[in-house]
Amino acid sequence: MLSRDEVLKIARLAKLSLTEKEIEFYQQRLGRILTYVEELNALATADTSVVRTIPKDAVAFREDRPIPFGDVRELLKNAPASEADSFLLPQVME
Amino acid sequence: MDFNRLEILDLLEGYQRKEFSPSEVAQSLLTSIEKKDGEIRSFLQVRPDVTLDAARAIEKRSSEIQKLPLYGVPIAIKDNILVTGWQATAASKILKNYVAPFTAMCVERLESAGALILGKTNLDEFAMGSSTENSGVAPTRNPWKTDRVPGGSSGGSAAAVAAGFAPASLGTDTGGSIRQPASLCGLVGVKPTYGRVSRFGLIAFASSLDQAGPLTRSVWDAARVLECMAGYGGKDATVSRSVVPKYTENLNESAFGTVRNLRVGICTSWLEGVDPEVRTAFEAAVEKLKELGMRPVEVELPNVKYALSTYYLVATSEASSNLARFDGVHYGYRTPNPKDLDDLYCRSRGEGFGPEVKLRIMLGTYALSAGYYDAYYGKANQVRRLIQQDFEAAFEKCDVIASPTSPTTAFKIGEKVSDPLTMYLSDIFTLPANLAGIPGISVPVGVDSAKLPIGMQLMGRHFDESTLFQVAYCYERRRGALANAPWRGSKSGAGA
Repeated sequence: MLSRDEVLKIARLAKLSLTEKEIEFYQQRLGRILTYVEELNALATADTSVVRTIPKDAVAFREDRPIPFGDVRELLKNAPASEADSFLLPQVME
Repeated sequence: MDFNRLEILDLLEGYQRKEFSPSEVAQSLLTSIEKKDGEIRSFLQVRPDVTLDAARAIEKRSSEIQKLPLYGVPIAIKDNILVTGWQATAASKILKNYVAPFTAMCVERLESAGALILGKTNLDEFAMGSSTENSGVAPTRNPWKTDRVPGGSSGGSAAAVAAGFAPASLGTDTGGSIRQPASLCGLVGVKPTYGRVSRFGLIAFASSLDQAGPLTRSVWDAARVLECMAGYGGKDATVSRSVVPKYTENLNESAFGTVRNLRVGICTSWLEGVDPEVRTAFEAAVEKLKELGMRPVEVELPNVKYALSTYYLVATSEASSNLARFDGVHYGYRTPNPKDLDDLYCRSRGEGFGPEVKLRIMLGTYALSAGYYDAYYGKANQVRRLIQQDFEAAFEKCDVIASPTSPTTAFKIGEKVSDPLTMYLSDIFTLPANLAGIPGISVPVGVDSAKLPIGMQLMGRHFDESTLFQVAYCYERRRGALANAPWRGSKSGAGA
Protein backbone atom coordinates (compact mmCIF):
# COMPACT_ATOMS: atom_id res chain seq x y z
CA MET A 1 0.00 0.00 0.00
CA LEU A 2 1.28 3.46 -0.89
CA SER A 3 1.10 6.34 1.55
CA ARG A 4 -1.34 9.15 1.06
CA ASP A 5 1.56 11.52 0.35
CA GLU A 6 2.99 9.20 -2.29
CA VAL A 7 -0.34 9.05 -4.12
CA LEU A 8 -0.72 12.82 -3.91
CA LYS A 9 2.78 13.29 -5.28
CA ILE A 10 2.12 10.98 -8.25
CA ALA A 11 -1.22 12.69 -8.90
CA ARG A 12 0.51 16.08 -8.86
CA LEU A 13 3.10 14.86 -11.39
CA ALA A 14 0.34 13.36 -13.54
CA LYS A 15 -1.77 16.53 -13.27
CA LEU A 16 -4.78 14.71 -11.86
CA SER A 17 -7.07 16.07 -9.20
CA LEU A 18 -8.34 13.29 -6.93
CA THR A 19 -11.21 13.15 -4.48
CA GLU A 20 -10.61 11.88 -0.93
CA LYS A 21 -12.23 8.57 -1.83
CA GLU A 22 -10.00 8.21 -4.89
CA ILE A 23 -6.85 8.83 -2.87
CA GLU A 24 -7.65 5.88 -0.62
CA PHE A 25 -8.65 3.72 -3.58
CA TYR A 26 -5.38 4.39 -5.42
CA GLN A 27 -3.27 3.85 -2.29
CA GLN A 28 -4.58 0.27 -2.33
CA ARG A 29 -4.61 -0.40 -6.06
CA LEU A 30 -1.23 1.12 -6.92
CA GLY A 31 0.33 -0.54 -3.91
CA ARG A 32 -0.94 -3.95 -4.99
CA ILE A 33 0.28 -3.64 -8.55
CA LEU A 34 3.68 -2.30 -7.52
CA THR A 35 4.10 -5.28 -5.20
CA TYR A 36 3.15 -7.63 -8.04
CA VAL A 37 5.67 -6.18 -10.50
CA GLU A 38 8.48 -6.60 -7.94
CA GLU A 39 8.88 -10.10 -9.42
CA LEU A 40 10.91 -8.59 -12.26
CA ASN A 41 13.72 -7.84 -9.81
CA ALA A 42 14.40 -11.58 -9.63
CA LEU A 43 15.58 -11.49 -13.24
CA ALA A 44 19.19 -10.74 -14.06
CA THR A 45 19.17 -8.28 -16.94
CA ALA A 46 22.49 -6.48 -16.56
CA ASP A 47 23.70 -7.84 -19.91
CA THR A 48 20.37 -7.51 -21.71
CA SER A 49 19.72 -4.75 -24.22
CA VAL A 50 16.28 -3.18 -24.39
CA VAL A 51 13.75 -4.55 -26.85
CA ARG A 52 13.57 -3.38 -30.44
CA THR A 53 10.31 -3.91 -32.29
CA ILE A 54 10.42 -1.22 -34.96
CA PRO A 55 11.03 -2.88 -38.34
CA LYS A 56 14.49 -2.25 -39.75
CA ASP A 57 13.07 -0.93 -42.99
CA ALA A 58 10.74 1.53 -41.27
CA VAL A 59 12.63 4.49 -39.96
CA ALA A 60 13.99 6.81 -42.62
CA PHE A 61 14.91 10.46 -42.59
CA ARG A 62 12.88 12.93 -44.58
CA GLU A 63 13.08 16.60 -45.23
CA ASP A 64 11.80 18.54 -42.21
CA ARG A 65 9.20 20.82 -43.67
CA PRO A 66 5.91 22.02 -42.23
CA ILE A 67 2.71 20.64 -43.74
CA PRO A 68 -0.07 23.07 -42.82
CA PHE A 69 -3.38 21.57 -41.79
CA GLY A 70 -5.98 22.93 -44.20
CA ASP A 71 -8.79 24.07 -42.00
CA VAL A 72 -8.01 25.73 -38.68
CA ARG A 73 -11.70 26.44 -38.02
CA GLU A 74 -12.42 22.72 -38.29
CA LEU A 75 -9.89 22.08 -35.53
CA LEU A 76 -11.28 24.88 -33.39
CA LYS A 77 -14.73 23.28 -33.49
CA ASN A 78 -13.37 20.75 -31.00
CA ALA A 79 -11.94 23.45 -28.70
CA PRO A 80 -13.58 23.82 -25.30
CA ALA A 81 -13.27 27.61 -25.74
CA SER A 82 -11.96 29.67 -28.63
CA GLU A 83 -11.86 33.23 -29.86
CA ALA A 84 -10.70 34.67 -33.19
CA ASP A 85 -8.99 31.51 -34.51
CA SER A 86 -7.27 30.89 -31.15
CA PHE A 87 -7.76 28.66 -28.16
CA LEU A 88 -9.07 30.56 -25.16
CA LEU A 89 -7.49 29.93 -21.75
CA PRO A 90 -7.71 31.44 -18.29
CA GLN A 91 -5.30 34.31 -17.68
CA VAL A 92 -1.78 32.99 -17.07
CA MET A 93 0.03 36.20 -16.06
CA GLU A 94 -1.10 39.02 -13.80
CA MET B 1 -32.51 -11.81 -47.60
CA ASP B 2 -30.67 -12.26 -44.31
CA PHE B 3 -27.57 -10.12 -44.66
CA ASN B 4 -26.63 -10.49 -41.00
CA ARG B 5 -24.98 -13.85 -41.53
CA LEU B 6 -23.08 -13.07 -44.72
CA GLU B 7 -19.30 -13.01 -44.74
CA ILE B 8 -17.27 -10.56 -46.82
CA LEU B 9 -16.70 -13.22 -49.45
CA ASP B 10 -20.48 -13.84 -49.71
CA LEU B 11 -21.10 -10.10 -50.11
CA LEU B 12 -18.49 -9.72 -52.85
CA GLU B 13 -19.91 -12.69 -54.75
CA GLY B 14 -23.47 -11.42 -54.35
CA TYR B 15 -22.51 -7.96 -55.61
CA GLN B 16 -20.76 -9.45 -58.61
CA ARG B 17 -23.80 -11.53 -59.49
CA LYS B 18 -26.00 -8.45 -58.89
CA GLU B 19 -28.10 -10.39 -56.38
CA PHE B 20 -28.18 -7.37 -54.09
CA SER B 21 -26.59 -3.93 -53.81
CA PRO B 22 -24.40 -2.19 -51.22
CA SER B 23 -27.35 0.11 -50.35
CA GLU B 24 -29.61 -2.84 -49.61
CA VAL B 25 -26.96 -4.46 -47.43
CA ALA B 26 -26.13 -1.24 -45.57
CA GLN B 27 -29.81 -0.44 -45.05
CA SER B 28 -30.55 -3.91 -43.76
CA LEU B 29 -27.63 -3.88 -41.30
CA LEU B 30 -28.51 -0.37 -40.08
CA THR B 31 -32.08 -1.53 -39.48
CA SER B 32 -30.93 -4.50 -37.43
CA ILE B 33 -28.62 -2.25 -35.41
CA GLU B 34 -31.50 0.10 -34.72
CA LYS B 35 -33.75 -2.78 -33.67
CA LYS B 36 -31.34 -4.93 -31.69
CA ASP B 37 -28.31 -2.98 -30.55
CA GLY B 38 -30.24 -1.48 -27.65
CA GLU B 39 -29.57 -4.72 -25.80
CA ILE B 40 -26.01 -5.44 -27.03
CA ARG B 41 -24.73 -1.83 -27.07
CA SER B 42 -21.93 -2.49 -29.52
CA PHE B 43 -22.18 0.85 -31.34
CA LEU B 44 -21.50 4.29 -29.92
CA GLN B 45 -22.42 6.09 -33.15
CA VAL B 46 -24.16 5.28 -36.41
CA ARG B 47 -24.88 7.85 -39.10
CA PRO B 48 -27.28 6.10 -41.49
CA ASP B 49 -27.37 8.98 -43.99
CA VAL B 50 -23.58 9.08 -44.28
CA THR B 51 -23.29 5.29 -44.67
CA LEU B 52 -26.09 5.13 -47.22
CA ASP B 53 -24.60 8.05 -49.19
CA ALA B 54 -21.31 6.17 -49.30
CA ALA B 55 -23.15 3.01 -50.43
CA ARG B 56 -24.84 4.88 -53.29
CA ALA B 57 -21.52 6.49 -54.26
CA ILE B 58 -19.80 3.11 -54.47
CA GLU B 59 -22.66 1.70 -56.55
CA LYS B 60 -21.87 4.31 -59.20
CA ARG B 61 -18.46 2.68 -59.47
CA SER B 62 -19.80 -0.84 -59.97
CA SER B 63 -17.77 -1.20 -63.18
CA GLU B 64 -14.65 -1.10 -60.94
CA ILE B 65 -15.84 -3.93 -58.72
CA GLN B 66 -12.85 -6.11 -59.68
CA LYS B 67 -10.42 -3.37 -58.66
CA LEU B 68 -12.09 -2.69 -55.31
CA PRO B 69 -11.30 -5.60 -53.00
CA LEU B 70 -13.78 -4.39 -50.36
CA TYR B 71 -16.44 -3.08 -52.75
CA GLY B 72 -19.51 -2.16 -50.70
CA VAL B 73 -18.36 -4.02 -47.57
CA PRO B 74 -19.69 -2.32 -44.41
CA ILE B 75 -17.10 -2.18 -41.63
CA ALA B 76 -17.54 -1.05 -38.03
CA ILE B 77 -14.68 0.97 -36.54
CA LYS B 78 -13.55 1.03 -32.92
CA ASP B 79 -14.11 4.46 -31.45
CA ASN B 80 -10.41 5.11 -30.78
CA ILE B 81 -9.73 5.20 -34.55
CA LEU B 82 -10.32 8.50 -36.35
CA VAL B 83 -12.64 8.87 -39.35
CA THR B 84 -13.28 12.39 -40.63
CA GLY B 85 -16.66 13.71 -39.52
CA TRP B 86 -17.31 10.83 -37.13
CA GLN B 87 -16.96 11.03 -33.37
CA ALA B 88 -13.80 9.56 -31.82
CA THR B 89 -14.36 9.41 -28.08
CA ALA B 90 -12.30 6.39 -27.02
CA ALA B 91 -15.42 5.85 -24.84
CA SER B 92 -14.13 8.57 -22.51
CA LYS B 93 -15.90 11.54 -21.01
CA ILE B 94 -12.77 13.57 -21.74
CA LEU B 95 -13.40 13.16 -25.50
CA LYS B 96 -17.18 13.30 -25.42
CA ASN B 97 -18.37 15.21 -28.51
CA TYR B 98 -14.92 15.11 -30.15
CA VAL B 99 -15.30 14.89 -33.93
CA ALA B 100 -12.32 13.62 -35.93
CA PRO B 101 -10.82 16.23 -38.29
CA PHE B 102 -8.90 13.61 -40.28
CA THR B 103 -9.01 9.89 -41.09
CA ALA B 104 -6.68 7.19 -39.82
CA MET B 105 -4.37 5.74 -42.49
CA CYS B 106 -5.73 2.21 -42.06
CA VAL B 107 -9.32 3.41 -42.53
CA GLU B 108 -8.35 5.59 -45.50
CA ARG B 109 -6.99 2.46 -47.13
CA LEU B 110 -10.16 0.49 -46.42
CA GLU B 111 -12.27 3.27 -47.91
CA SER B 112 -10.04 3.37 -51.01
CA ALA B 113 -10.68 -0.37 -51.33
CA GLY B 114 -14.42 0.31 -51.42
CA ALA B 115 -15.40 -0.27 -47.77
CA LEU B 116 -18.30 1.59 -46.16
CA ILE B 117 -18.08 2.96 -42.62
CA LEU B 118 -21.00 1.44 -40.72
CA GLY B 119 -20.43 3.07 -37.33
CA LYS B 120 -18.14 3.57 -34.34
CA THR B 121 -17.99 0.85 -31.71
CA ASN B 122 -17.70 0.71 -27.95
CA LEU B 123 -14.48 -0.08 -26.06
CA ASP B 124 -12.91 0.07 -22.64
CA GLU B 125 -12.02 3.73 -22.10
CA PHE B 126 -8.85 4.45 -24.10
CA ALA B 127 -8.65 0.69 -24.83
CA MET B 128 -7.70 0.01 -21.20
CA GLY B 129 -9.50 -3.15 -20.18
CA SER B 130 -10.42 -6.71 -21.06
CA SER B 131 -14.22 -6.69 -20.83
CA THR B 132 -15.55 -3.36 -22.20
CA GLU B 133 -16.89 -2.73 -18.69
CA ASN B 134 -14.47 0.20 -18.39
CA SER B 135 -16.33 2.03 -21.16
CA GLY B 136 -17.24 5.52 -20.02
CA VAL B 137 -20.58 5.07 -21.83
CA ALA B 138 -22.00 1.62 -20.97
CA PRO B 139 -20.80 -1.99 -20.97
CA THR B 140 -21.30 -4.03 -24.16
CA ARG B 141 -22.96 -7.45 -23.90
CA ASN B 142 -21.83 -10.68 -25.51
CA PRO B 143 -24.25 -11.74 -28.28
CA TRP B 144 -23.65 -15.42 -27.43
CA LYS B 145 -25.07 -14.86 -23.94
CA THR B 146 -26.05 -11.40 -22.92
CA ASP B 147 -25.16 -11.74 -19.23
CA ARG B 148 -21.51 -12.17 -20.33
CA VAL B 149 -18.85 -9.68 -21.35
CA PRO B 150 -17.72 -9.64 -24.98
CA GLY B 151 -14.09 -9.28 -23.89
CA GLY B 152 -12.10 -6.16 -24.48
CA SER B 153 -10.96 -3.70 -25.16
CA SER B 154 -12.41 -4.05 -28.68
CA GLY B 155 -15.62 -5.50 -27.19
CA GLY B 156 -17.96 -3.33 -29.24
CA SER B 157 -16.20 -4.30 -32.47
CA ALA B 158 -16.39 -7.99 -31.53
CA ALA B 159 -20.02 -7.87 -30.42
CA ALA B 160 -21.07 -6.00 -33.59
CA VAL B 161 -19.67 -8.78 -35.80
CA ALA B 162 -20.89 -11.62 -33.55
CA ALA B 163 -24.39 -10.15 -33.44
CA GLY B 164 -24.53 -9.99 -37.22
CA PHE B 165 -24.60 -6.20 -37.37
CA ALA B 166 -21.41 -6.02 -39.44
CA PRO B 167 -19.42 -8.58 -41.45
CA ALA B 168 -16.16 -7.09 -40.17
CA SER B 169 -14.82 -4.52 -37.77
CA LEU B 170 -11.55 -2.89 -36.83
CA GLY B 171 -10.09 -3.13 -33.38
CA THR B 172 -6.82 -2.15 -31.79
CA ASP B 173 -4.61 -4.55 -29.85
CA THR B 174 -2.11 -3.36 -27.25
CA GLY B 175 -2.07 -6.50 -25.08
CA GLY B 176 -4.77 -8.70 -26.61
CA SER B 177 -7.60 -6.27 -27.28
CA ILE B 178 -8.45 -7.78 -30.69
CA ARG B 179 -7.65 -11.45 -30.06
CA GLN B 180 -9.27 -11.84 -26.62
CA PRO B 181 -12.67 -10.37 -27.61
CA ALA B 182 -12.50 -12.34 -30.88
CA SER B 183 -12.04 -15.49 -28.77
CA LEU B 184 -14.85 -14.62 -26.37
CA CYS B 185 -17.22 -13.84 -29.26
CA GLY B 186 -16.36 -16.79 -31.54
CA LEU B 187 -14.61 -14.69 -34.19
CA VAL B 188 -11.34 -14.50 -36.06
CA GLY B 189 -9.18 -11.61 -34.80
CA VAL B 190 -5.72 -10.57 -35.96
CA LYS B 191 -3.00 -8.57 -34.21
CA PRO B 192 -0.54 -7.86 -37.02
CA THR B 193 3.22 -7.61 -36.62
CA TYR B 194 4.23 -4.32 -35.01
CA GLY B 195 4.93 -2.03 -37.98
CA ARG B 196 2.62 -3.81 -40.46
CA VAL B 197 -0.28 -1.34 -40.10
CA SER B 198 0.06 2.43 -39.74
CA ARG B 199 -0.91 3.81 -36.36
CA PHE B 200 -1.58 7.24 -37.86
CA GLY B 201 -5.03 8.29 -36.66
CA LEU B 202 -5.25 5.84 -33.76
CA ILE B 203 -5.74 7.43 -30.36
CA ALA B 204 -2.44 6.28 -28.88
CA PHE B 205 -2.42 4.10 -25.77
CA ALA B 206 1.07 2.49 -25.74
CA SER B 207 2.95 3.45 -28.88
CA SER B 208 5.43 0.57 -28.87
CA LEU B 209 2.64 -2.03 -28.55
CA ASP B 210 -0.46 -0.71 -30.35
CA GLN B 211 -1.55 -2.25 -33.65
CA ALA B 212 -4.90 -2.08 -35.45
CA GLY B 213 -6.38 -5.19 -37.04
CA PRO B 214 -9.57 -6.90 -38.19
CA LEU B 215 -12.29 -8.95 -36.47
CA THR B 216 -14.33 -11.13 -38.83
CA ARG B 217 -16.29 -14.37 -39.03
CA SER B 218 -13.81 -16.16 -41.25
CA VAL B 219 -10.07 -16.38 -41.81
CA TRP B 220 -10.40 -15.39 -45.47
CA ASP B 221 -12.29 -12.25 -44.48
CA ALA B 222 -9.63 -11.27 -41.93
CA ALA B 223 -6.91 -11.79 -44.54
CA ARG B 224 -8.80 -9.63 -47.03
CA VAL B 225 -9.27 -6.75 -44.56
CA LEU B 226 -5.66 -6.88 -43.39
CA GLU B 227 -4.21 -6.93 -46.90
CA CYS B 228 -6.22 -3.78 -47.64
CA MET B 229 -5.47 -1.85 -44.43
CA ALA B 230 -1.76 -2.64 -44.00
CA GLY B 231 1.28 -0.87 -45.37
CA TYR B 232 3.30 2.32 -45.26
CA GLY B 233 1.37 5.50 -45.85
CA GLY B 234 3.96 8.19 -45.21
CA LYS B 235 2.62 9.28 -41.85
CA ASP B 236 4.02 6.78 -39.36
CA ALA B 237 7.77 6.25 -39.08
CA THR B 238 7.33 2.83 -37.43
CA VAL B 239 5.66 1.16 -40.43
CA SER B 240 7.59 -1.26 -42.61
CA ARG B 241 8.13 -0.17 -46.22
CA SER B 242 7.92 -3.76 -47.41
CA VAL B 243 5.16 -4.74 -49.82
CA VAL B 244 2.05 -6.16 -48.16
CA PRO B 245 1.45 -9.71 -49.42
CA LYS B 246 -1.92 -10.60 -50.94
CA TYR B 247 -2.76 -12.94 -48.09
CA THR B 248 -5.99 -14.19 -49.67
CA GLU B 249 -4.22 -15.45 -52.80
CA ASN B 250 -2.95 -18.49 -50.92
CA LEU B 251 -6.16 -19.27 -49.09
CA ASN B 252 -7.39 -22.14 -51.25
CA GLU B 253 -6.61 -25.82 -51.73
CA SER B 254 -2.90 -25.01 -52.16
CA ALA B 255 -2.74 -23.94 -48.49
CA PHE B 256 -3.21 -27.56 -47.40
CA GLY B 257 0.03 -28.46 -49.17
CA THR B 258 1.90 -25.57 -47.55
CA VAL B 259 0.64 -26.39 -44.09
CA ARG B 260 1.52 -30.09 -44.26
CA ASN B 261 4.77 -30.73 -42.38
CA LEU B 262 4.85 -27.31 -40.73
CA ARG B 263 5.88 -27.49 -37.09
CA VAL B 264 3.52 -26.16 -34.45
CA GLY B 265 5.18 -25.14 -31.19
CA ILE B 266 3.39 -25.78 -27.92
CA CYS B 267 4.60 -24.61 -24.53
CA THR B 268 2.98 -27.07 -22.13
CA SER B 269 4.05 -25.29 -18.95
CA TRP B 270 2.13 -22.25 -20.15
CA LEU B 271 -1.14 -24.19 -20.05
CA GLU B 272 -1.23 -24.60 -16.27
CA GLY B 273 -4.16 -22.83 -14.67
CA VAL B 274 -6.20 -22.76 -17.86
CA ASP B 275 -9.88 -23.60 -17.51
CA PRO B 276 -10.18 -27.39 -18.10
CA GLU B 277 -12.78 -27.04 -20.86
CA VAL B 278 -10.61 -24.49 -22.66
CA ARG B 279 -7.63 -26.79 -22.36
CA THR B 280 -9.55 -29.79 -23.71
CA ALA B 281 -10.82 -27.77 -26.67
CA PHE B 282 -7.32 -26.46 -27.34
CA GLU B 283 -5.84 -29.95 -27.27
CA ALA B 284 -8.55 -31.17 -29.65
CA ALA B 285 -7.67 -28.30 -31.98
CA VAL B 286 -4.01 -29.33 -31.90
CA GLU B 287 -5.15 -32.84 -32.87
CA LYS B 288 -6.84 -31.31 -35.90
CA LEU B 289 -3.61 -29.52 -36.81
CA LYS B 290 -1.92 -32.92 -36.65
CA GLU B 291 -4.57 -34.33 -38.99
CA LEU B 292 -3.55 -31.56 -41.40
CA GLY B 293 -0.03 -32.98 -41.33
CA MET B 294 1.47 -30.47 -38.92
CA ARG B 295 4.01 -31.71 -36.41
CA PRO B 296 3.71 -30.58 -32.78
CA VAL B 297 6.97 -29.69 -31.05
CA GLU B 298 7.48 -28.70 -27.43
CA VAL B 299 8.93 -25.19 -27.02
CA GLU B 300 10.15 -23.34 -23.95
CA LEU B 301 9.11 -19.76 -23.27
CA PRO B 302 10.76 -19.32 -19.86
CA ASN B 303 10.15 -15.58 -19.54
CA VAL B 304 6.51 -15.31 -20.63
CA LYS B 305 5.52 -15.69 -16.99
CA TYR B 306 6.85 -12.15 -16.55
CA ALA B 307 4.74 -10.77 -19.40
CA LEU B 308 2.01 -9.31 -17.21
CA SER B 309 4.40 -7.33 -14.99
CA THR B 310 6.41 -6.22 -18.00
CA TYR B 311 3.31 -5.19 -19.89
CA TYR B 312 1.88 -3.18 -17.03
CA LEU B 313 5.05 -1.15 -16.69
CA VAL B 314 5.64 -0.57 -20.41
CA ALA B 315 2.02 0.09 -21.36
CA THR B 316 1.26 2.40 -18.45
CA SER B 317 4.48 4.37 -18.84
CA GLU B 318 3.74 5.01 -22.49
CA ALA B 319 0.09 5.74 -21.70
CA SER B 320 1.01 8.33 -19.07
CA SER B 321 3.04 10.12 -21.72
CA ASN B 322 0.49 9.74 -24.55
CA LEU B 323 -2.46 10.81 -22.43
CA ALA B 324 -0.69 13.98 -21.29
CA ARG B 325 -2.18 15.64 -24.38
CA PHE B 326 -5.67 15.53 -22.86
CA ASP B 327 -5.37 18.70 -20.82
CA GLY B 328 -8.59 20.61 -21.46
CA VAL B 329 -6.85 23.16 -23.69
CA HIS B 330 -7.20 22.28 -27.36
CA TYR B 331 -10.04 19.75 -27.39
CA GLY B 332 -12.12 17.58 -25.15
CA TYR B 333 -13.58 18.16 -21.73
CA ARG B 334 -12.67 21.29 -19.75
CA THR B 335 -13.66 21.74 -16.12
CA PRO B 336 -16.01 24.66 -15.54
CA ASN B 337 -14.56 27.76 -13.82
CA PRO B 338 -10.91 26.77 -13.28
CA LYS B 339 -9.10 29.09 -10.91
CA ASP B 340 -5.88 29.04 -12.88
CA LEU B 341 -4.13 27.08 -15.64
CA ASP B 342 -2.84 24.33 -13.35
CA ASP B 343 -6.29 23.90 -11.86
CA LEU B 344 -7.67 23.66 -15.42
CA TYR B 345 -5.27 20.82 -16.24
CA CYS B 346 -5.74 18.87 -13.01
CA ARG B 347 -9.50 19.13 -12.71
CA SER B 348 -10.20 18.61 -16.44
CA ARG B 349 -8.15 15.41 -16.30
CA GLY B 350 -9.37 14.35 -12.85
CA GLU B 351 -13.01 14.77 -13.87
CA GLY B 352 -12.63 13.65 -17.51
CA PHE B 353 -10.79 10.33 -17.12
CA GLY B 354 -12.40 7.24 -15.61
CA PRO B 355 -10.93 5.25 -12.68
CA GLU B 356 -8.97 2.62 -14.66
CA VAL B 357 -7.40 5.25 -16.92
CA LYS B 358 -6.34 7.34 -13.92
CA LEU B 359 -4.90 4.23 -12.28
CA ARG B 360 -2.78 3.46 -15.33
CA ILE B 361 -1.67 7.06 -15.83
CA MET B 362 -0.51 7.18 -12.21
CA LEU B 363 1.23 3.82 -12.41
CA GLY B 364 3.05 4.99 -15.55
CA THR B 365 3.89 8.36 -14.04
CA TYR B 366 5.36 6.59 -11.03
CA ALA B 367 7.37 4.18 -13.21
CA LEU B 368 8.82 7.08 -15.21
CA SER B 369 9.49 9.42 -12.31
CA ALA B 370 12.99 10.46 -11.23
CA GLY B 371 14.82 7.68 -9.45
CA TYR B 372 12.45 4.95 -10.66
CA TYR B 373 12.87 5.06 -14.44
CA ASP B 374 15.68 2.51 -14.67
CA ALA B 375 14.14 0.24 -12.07
CA TYR B 376 10.77 0.08 -13.80
CA TYR B 377 10.54 1.22 -17.43
CA GLY B 378 14.17 0.42 -18.21
CA LYS B 379 13.98 -2.96 -16.51
CA ALA B 380 10.68 -3.81 -18.21
CA ASN B 381 12.14 -3.08 -21.65
CA GLN B 382 15.01 -5.43 -20.88
CA VAL B 383 12.63 -8.18 -19.82
CA ARG B 384 10.74 -7.49 -23.02
CA ARG B 385 13.93 -8.30 -24.89
CA LEU B 386 14.22 -11.58 -22.96
CA ILE B 387 10.67 -12.47 -23.97
CA GLN B 388 11.46 -11.59 -27.57
CA GLN B 389 14.54 -13.82 -27.39
CA ASP B 390 12.37 -16.67 -26.08
CA PHE B 391 10.26 -16.40 -29.22
CA GLU B 392 13.29 -16.14 -31.49
CA ALA B 393 14.64 -19.34 -29.99
CA ALA B 394 11.24 -21.05 -30.20
CA PHE B 395 10.86 -20.14 -33.87
CA GLU B 396 14.13 -21.91 -34.60
CA LYS B 397 12.26 -25.09 -33.69
CA CYS B 398 8.81 -24.38 -35.09
CA ASP B 399 6.90 -22.34 -37.67
CA VAL B 400 3.94 -21.22 -35.57
CA ILE B 401 3.20 -21.34 -31.84
CA ALA B 402 -0.26 -22.36 -30.66
CA SER B 403 -1.92 -21.58 -27.33
CA PRO B 404 -5.40 -20.87 -26.06
CA THR B 405 -6.28 -17.21 -26.71
CA SER B 406 -7.85 -16.67 -23.31
CA PRO B 407 -7.63 -18.86 -20.18
CA THR B 408 -11.43 -18.79 -19.80
CA THR B 409 -14.53 -18.27 -21.90
CA ALA B 410 -16.63 -15.11 -21.52
CA PHE B 411 -17.13 -14.27 -17.86
CA LYS B 412 -20.20 -12.65 -16.34
CA ILE B 413 -20.61 -8.89 -16.42
CA GLY B 414 -19.46 -7.55 -13.05
CA GLU B 415 -17.61 -10.74 -12.09
CA LYS B 416 -14.08 -9.38 -12.29
CA VAL B 417 -14.39 -5.61 -12.06
CA SER B 418 -13.47 -5.44 -8.39
CA ASP B 419 -10.11 -7.17 -8.82
CA PRO B 420 -7.88 -5.63 -11.48
CA LEU B 421 -5.18 -8.31 -11.33
CA THR B 422 -7.67 -11.14 -12.02
CA MET B 423 -9.01 -9.12 -14.93
CA TYR B 424 -5.49 -8.49 -16.21
CA LEU B 425 -4.79 -12.25 -16.11
CA SER B 426 -7.30 -12.81 -18.90
CA ASP B 427 -4.60 -11.44 -21.23
CA ILE B 428 -1.76 -13.79 -20.24
CA PHE B 429 -1.70 -15.58 -23.59
CA THR B 430 -1.99 -12.48 -25.72
CA LEU B 431 0.40 -10.02 -24.00
CA PRO B 432 3.65 -11.72 -25.10
CA ALA B 433 3.00 -11.20 -28.84
CA ASN B 434 2.67 -7.45 -28.29
CA LEU B 435 5.79 -7.35 -26.14
CA ALA B 436 7.76 -9.27 -28.80
CA GLY B 437 6.16 -7.42 -31.72
CA ILE B 438 5.09 -10.65 -33.45
CA PRO B 439 1.73 -11.33 -35.16
CA GLY B 440 -1.07 -13.35 -33.60
CA ILE B 441 -4.43 -14.61 -34.78
CA SER B 442 -7.32 -16.03 -32.77
CA VAL B 443 -9.54 -18.66 -34.39
CA PRO B 444 -12.62 -20.23 -32.81
CA VAL B 445 -12.18 -23.91 -31.93
CA GLY B 446 -15.52 -24.77 -30.35
CA VAL B 447 -17.75 -24.01 -27.40
CA ASP B 448 -17.76 -24.97 -23.71
CA SER B 449 -20.62 -26.65 -21.84
CA ALA B 450 -22.27 -23.25 -21.37
CA LYS B 451 -22.20 -22.86 -25.19
CA LEU B 452 -19.65 -20.05 -25.03
CA PRO B 453 -16.95 -19.92 -27.69
CA ILE B 454 -13.33 -20.93 -27.13
CA GLY B 455 -10.44 -19.56 -29.20
CA MET B 456 -7.00 -20.80 -30.20
CA GLN B 457 -4.18 -18.34 -30.76
CA LEU B 458 -1.52 -18.89 -33.40
CA MET B 459 1.58 -16.72 -33.24
CA GLY B 460 4.14 -16.36 -36.01
CA ARG B 461 7.48 -14.87 -36.90
CA HIS B 462 7.73 -11.14 -37.58
CA PHE B 463 5.86 -10.30 -40.81
CA ASP B 464 4.81 -13.90 -41.34
CA GLU B 465 1.07 -13.27 -41.25
CA SER B 466 0.86 -15.39 -44.44
CA THR B 467 1.68 -18.60 -42.59
CA LEU B 468 -0.72 -17.76 -39.77
CA PHE B 469 -3.53 -17.19 -42.25
CA GLN B 470 -2.81 -20.43 -44.10
CA VAL B 471 -2.72 -22.55 -40.96
CA ALA B 472 -5.83 -20.85 -39.58
CA TYR B 473 -7.61 -21.25 -42.91
CA CYS B 474 -6.89 -24.98 -43.15
CA TYR B 475 -7.86 -25.46 -39.52
CA GLU B 476 -11.12 -23.57 -40.08
CA ARG B 477 -11.98 -25.72 -43.11
CA ARG B 478 -11.27 -28.84 -41.09
CA ARG B 479 -13.34 -27.58 -38.15
CA GLY B 480 -16.47 -26.76 -40.14
CA ALA B 481 -19.19 -24.27 -39.20
CA LEU B 482 -19.47 -23.12 -35.59
CA ALA B 483 -22.58 -24.38 -33.84
CA ASN B 484 -25.04 -21.89 -32.35
CA ALA B 485 -23.27 -18.82 -33.71
CA PRO B 486 -25.53 -15.85 -32.92
CA TRP B 487 -25.13 -14.24 -36.36
CA ARG B 488 -26.62 -17.35 -37.92
CA GLY B 489 -29.59 -17.69 -35.59
CA SER B 490 -33.11 -16.61 -36.45
CA LYS B 491 -32.96 -13.92 -33.78
CA SER B 492 -29.47 -12.78 -34.71
CA GLY B 493 -28.27 -10.06 -32.43
CA ALA B 494 -30.39 -11.14 -29.52
CA GLY B 495 -28.24 -14.04 -28.38
CA ALA B 496 -29.24 -16.93 -26.19
